[in-house]
Amino acid sequence: MSTQGWRRRTGALATVVGIAALAGCSGVTYAETPLPAPVAAKPTTAAPATSAPTCSNATQSYDPLPSLPSRAEITDQKMRDLYTKGYLTVGVSADTYLFGARDPFTSSLEGFDIDMSKAVAKAIFGDPSKVQFRVITAAERLPLLQSKQVDMVARNMSMTCARWNDIAFSAEYYRSGQKVLVGKNLPNAANLGLADLKGKKVCAPTGTTSLTKLQQVAAQSSGGPEVVTAPNHTGCLVLFQQGKADAITGDDTVLAGLAAQDPNTVITKAKAITAEPYGLGFNKADTYLARYVNRVIADLEADGEWKAIYNRWLAAPLGPAPAPPTPVYGR
Amino acid sequence: MSAPTTNIPVAVTAGAASGTSGGQQPQPRTIAGSLPSARSLASRLLHGTPGRMRLFGLLGVLAAVLLGAISANALLASQAAVERAANNTEQVVRVQSIHVDLLRADAVATNAFLVGGLESADSRLRYEQALSRVATSLAKAAAAQPADGNALGALSVKVQAYAALVEQARSNNRLGLPVGAQYLTQASAGLRADAIPIVTQIVKANEDRSRKEFERSNSSLQLLVGVVSVIGLVALAVWLARRTHRYLNRSLSGAIVLLLVALFVAATQISGIGTATADVSRGNFQQAVSLANVTTAANDARSNESLTLIRRGSGASNEASWKADRDAVEKGLDGIRDGAELRGLWAAYVVAHEQVRKLDDGGRWDDAVKASTNTTAAGAAGTFDEFDQRVAQARDTAAKATVSTLQGLGGSAPLYAVLVALAALVASWLIVRGVGQRIEEYR
Repeated sequence: MSTQGWRRRTGALATVVGIAALAGCSGVTYAETPLPAPVAAKPTTAAPATSAPTCSNATQSYDPLPSLPSRAEITDQKMRDLYTKGYLTVGVSADTYLFGARDPFTSSLEGFDIDMSKAVAKAIFGDPSKVQFRVITAAERLPLLQSKQVDMVARNMSMTCARWNDIAFSAEYYRSGQKVLVGKNLPNAANLGLADLKGKKVCAPTGTTSLTKLQQVAAQSSGGPEVVTAPNHTGCLVLFQQGKADAITGDDTVLAGLAAQDPNTVITKAKAITAEPYGLGFNKADTYLARYVNRVIADLEADGEWKAIYNRWLAAPLGPAPAPPTPVYGR
Repeated sequence: MSAPTTNIPVAVTAGAASGTSGGQQPQPRTIAGSLPSARSLASRLLHGTPGRMRLFGLLGVLAAVLLGAISANALLASQAAVERAANNTEQVVRVQSIHVDLLRADAVATNAFLVGGLESADSRLRYEQALSRVATSLAKAAAAQPADGNALGALSVKVQAYAALVEQARSNNRLGLPVGAQYLTQASAGLRADAIPIVTQIVKANEDRSRKEFERSNSSLQLLVGVVSVIGLVALAVWLARRTHRYLNRSLSGAIVLLLVALFVAATQISGIGTATADVSRGNFQQAVSLANVTTAANDARSNESLTLIRRGSGASNEASWKADRDAVEKGLDGIRDGAELRGLWAAYVVAHEQVRKLDDGGRWDDAVKASTNTTAAGAAGTFDEFDQRVAQARDTAAKATVSTLQGLGGSAPLYAVLVALAALVASWLIVRGVGQRIEEYR
């Protein structure tokens, strides 16, 4: 009996193994190569705007030095450290056409803000090339100043009460205003305001006052514009050209730079929604440097250099230079 | 074959002595006559000691046939597995070159942008060559492995999107518009975020397939069935010897010896293939995979160097990626045979890169760009190109060696499979003859 059982079992085993072996003979099929799991897309709408602190003296800066002191005359330790370093590190934009942009042919940065930085470097070091440009995004402006990774920010930055809490500003050196850029194909495109763009996707760069304002408008009216963000204004233009945004909002000067790159766009004639006073940004503790630069700006405006810089970059799209903004001191 | 057939009626008459089927005795025993009572015929055939001899003889034949079939199958399976391993390895290499060429195209595009001005015809040509190779390899890879079809399709879509963005960047750049730079940034970011993960996935899938086939190539486990068969035959021989008190059955012993030889030949062949494949898997295959990883990491590093400079002070994350790439390259080079030359070339590039970083961090961006795009032996571009060429050569050599060695392996396996199968058939005949002889003697 036991031998019969053994036989049966071995027979069964042999059959099973035999079948398995013959199955192995037939071709091997592989499982489909899996695709990587899609990364969850980041929500494009930023957090709703919190009400910004208000004040009446957003453009008020420190008194300028009476005159530009020579290096030997300066006792401020931070300023002396800057002389020791030998050059000024300035946070700028590389994609804001006409204000701070890289020339694709020469690879050099140029624009209104770049020339302002060079003028400051020339005043401090006697050489406009003693400046190291660091290309930063709008959202990086405050953090980099606070961590002292840059000495100054010249990147079309609006002076606001909220920002005064974190950093210091020079006197106002340029007056801009927030406008809207739309595609020419929209009906009545030339007269559209931000509030008219109901249900349209409107792009603004993260970390800008333009975005704050856009979010306020979007929150006010139900069925208002849909907020889309990009790291910078040129990023908004790319989204616009790819059909992922219908309009771009930003300061008129920036929009002029964008419009110059795409003939299918138009800056609407609607009145500027805000007034954007531009100031050069500094670390909150660098008040001496801010006073020094206020002197530089005042001198530039007095000797006509400010107008020359303006005309070099902005005369073509915006007309000849107006009178420079009136500085407010006494902070 | 005549002995057992003549035995069958003999056995029936022996069984018929009991008189159960006496009435049918005068009728000739034809197949037609026995059909209605196949069951009773079977019981008659298996009745008594001759019946058991017949049954065991049949089992012995089955064992011999099974041994032959399984050994032949194992030989063919080993050869097929080696062949598939070679194909999968070829696919790994093919997709890895897609990876490298994508990164190379991106490095060329970003570098041309960094230099500024209209890109040189040479850099434009290198970009186009890299993308052409990608397009060709995509089609070849899809044909080579249908299981990769979906993933390669998805990759192809991403590559097209990348190429379109680079073209847009280029045309805007020609017009002197900064938006071109933004398109290039988007292209590079999209390439790394969307296309490269798919490539990595395909490479991994094919590496896994190769490794599985390397394991399958040693199918000697199947031969255990053959061993069991031989043991069964020996048991049959012993049982026969006890029953008949005749110790040596020449035919049966001959069959056992023949099967043992066949089994031994199959086992030697298969383990030979298995050992050789394991050598390839540990040697050239490992080498090719490591070198390919080094090539991709190095090209990614070079792209990151350009992107760090393009981002002009805000490229800290790209420099961090560069460092991760450097670690990957150095780790990969550690395991390479004769890697001293490659390590030296890489070290030269690292020195050049550190010089670039020193200049940039010191505020001398223009000089940093010059150092980074310097194609002489002292510049980052020069040292990198030298390393890139040599490491790609080494990778191609290792990959070709892997594939050609694998293709050469197991070439004679079908011949041995036929021989083993023939031996099993001969053994079956010997078993039938041997057992039949004993049945006849038993009468």
